[in-house]
Amino acid sequence: MIEYVDTLLPYITTILLISSIYAIFSLGLNLEWGFTGLIDFGHVAFLAIGAYTTVMFNMSGFPLFLSVIAGIVLSGFFGLLLGIPTLRLREDYLAIVMIGFSEVLRFILLNEQWLTRGPFGIHGFDRPLQDVIPYQHYNTFLLILYLAILVIIYLSLERLVRSPWGRVLKSIREDEAVPSALGKNVFWYRLQSLMIGSAIAGLAGAMLAFYIMYIEPNTFKPIETFHAWIIIILGGTASNKGTIVGALVFCTFLSVTQFTNRFLPFTAHQMGAFRMIVIGLLLMLLMMYKPEGIFGKKEELALSD
Amino acid sequence: MPKSAIPGTPTIIYIHRHLYNRMQLVINGLVIGSIIAITAIGLSMIYKTLNFVNFAHGDFVAFAAYIALFANTSGMCLASAFLVAILATIVLGVFMEKVVWLPMRRKNASRTTLIIISIGFALVLRNILVFIWGGSTRNYDIPVRRGFEFFGATITSNQVLVILAAFLLVFALHCLLSRTKIGKSMRALSDNIDLARISGIDVDRVILWTWVIGLGLAAAGGVLYGLVTAIRPDMGWYLLLPMFAAVILGGIGNPYGTIAGGIIIGLSQELSTAFIPTEYKFAVSFVMMTLVLLLKPEGIFGGAK
Repeated sequence: MIEYVDTLLPYITTILLISSIYAIFSLGLNLEWGFTGLIDFGHVAFLAIGAYTTVMFNMSGFPLFLSVIAGIVLSGFFGLLLGIPTLRLREDYLAIVMIGFSEVLRFILLNEQWLTRGPFGIHGFDRPLQDVIPYQHYNTFLLILYLAILVIIYLSLERLVRSPWGRVLKSIREDEAVPSALGKNVFWYRLQSLMIGSAIAGLAGAMLAFYIMYIEPNTFKPIETFHAWIIIILGGTASNKGTIVGALVFCTFLSVTQFTNRFLPFTAHQMGAFRMIVIGLLLMLLMMYKPEGIFGKKEELALSD
Repeated sequence: MPKSAIPGTPTIIYIHRHLYNRMQLVINGLVIGSIIAITAIGLSMIYKTLNFVNFAHGDFVAFAAYIALFANTSGMCLASAFLVAILATIVLGVFMEKVVWLPMRRKNASRTTLIIISIGFALVLRNILVFIWGGSTRNYDIPVRRGFEFFGATITSNQVLVILAAFLLVFALHCLLSRTKIGKSMRALSDNIDLARISGIDVDRVILWTWVIGLGLAAAGGVLYGLVTAIRPDMGWYLLLPMFAAVILGGIGNPYGTIAGGIIIGLSQELSTAFIPTEYKFAVSFVMMTLVLLLKPEGIFGGAK
């Protein structure tokens, strides 16, 4: 029994850590898609900007806290930059530009080796309170820290979406003609939603870097964006609680399949492809048959134009 | 101007090499531009007629290349493999229309729902290719012929074939759109679907034909693309952004604009390599697309909004 506890506890800690990072990453997307109806297919770009900015600021001598702030601010700034050409137009333009941006950014991270060390990645940066917390307890500390951050983000988002500001966002999602008739600047509200969503993804990027202690451009492939999409659609669009549950369910599923993989007669690359086929099918089937999500409320979702 | 590789090289040779390079880039740009043009026509037509961006379009292109590869390596000549690939891609497209898109239209699904389903299908299709054929690059089993000299640049017989085939396909499309009843109905549908419906056009049948012709062209483009580049599962995915750029440049739903847009994108991508690293070719179409969205979102060749 003792040895089970010995391995089970770190295992659960790992799952919870990854879930909390994914939950925060997806909460940002949920603000954009769930509450405002923005199709952000390049959300992973802001995870990358957050992670790289934090790490590179820290490596050039800035204190950790300021580096994280820089990561969050820069992610939000890039959200603003990309929103300007796209958010006045139809929703599909944002989808195209975002997915393009996330891939262009990955190429830049891979090729500008003088700045990012390219494919070799970056490690050896500071982690929060690493001199104070003993190494064997560090993940436990990180988990407590991340759960605290998750609670703060969750509560702030709940306040935001219940405020008059949040109601305007939802009305934009349902029919942008109504808020614009009431004199609301739809473009500016969308831009704010995209900026905040991107900034939250930036924070998740910093958290990811601290947890895995090593970042490289291919950590930020487009598939991470679609993990977040699965999480929010599973949890129920426009439900912050659902998003957190979705993250936990999804990360547990991913982790458990790593054990069941041994029973499938696939090679390693086939296994990777198989997992993505499952993700793609899940995305299709959920949108076709249960677009309000497993835990979502049907009335939160306008099903027709 | 780039530095001469060998110190003391006579200037005259240096200038000659310089010109030679530019001419080569123009040829390569025209070749890749014709491929972007014919693959993007389908994307543009479906975008306009069904009112959503089909994110799986690029993966249909790759699918066709793999089917041709499979037929070719199991003993067929390239011409028959070409036809088999087009047929298989159309069958897959018609299957998707019957199983996914038609039922979703009946349900009055929103545009955003359709976009998310299409990206799910893109993941599925691409990873089926990875699953079966692996991620490595492949080539058709065809004899390598000597290229022709052309103003100091070399043009391979495959490149000539691509340009000729693209030209023939565009001509055939032009005849179809302007001379046949189905072509005229397709144009009517992409102009105004409700008007087309009340004037007695069988909308679902014409939409089916739009898929058949759009994906048939995409498949042809995919097989031709395999002649001038390595066949990889993500070849279509990385063609998606240039295709979108061509569609937006040419004005959505305007096939002639799309063709011009494709050539412009292809030329700018290749010519850009004279100034910036080759790795950023992909970024060129992203930047051009974003600029068009900022400055003239209806496209430089008009087309409906």
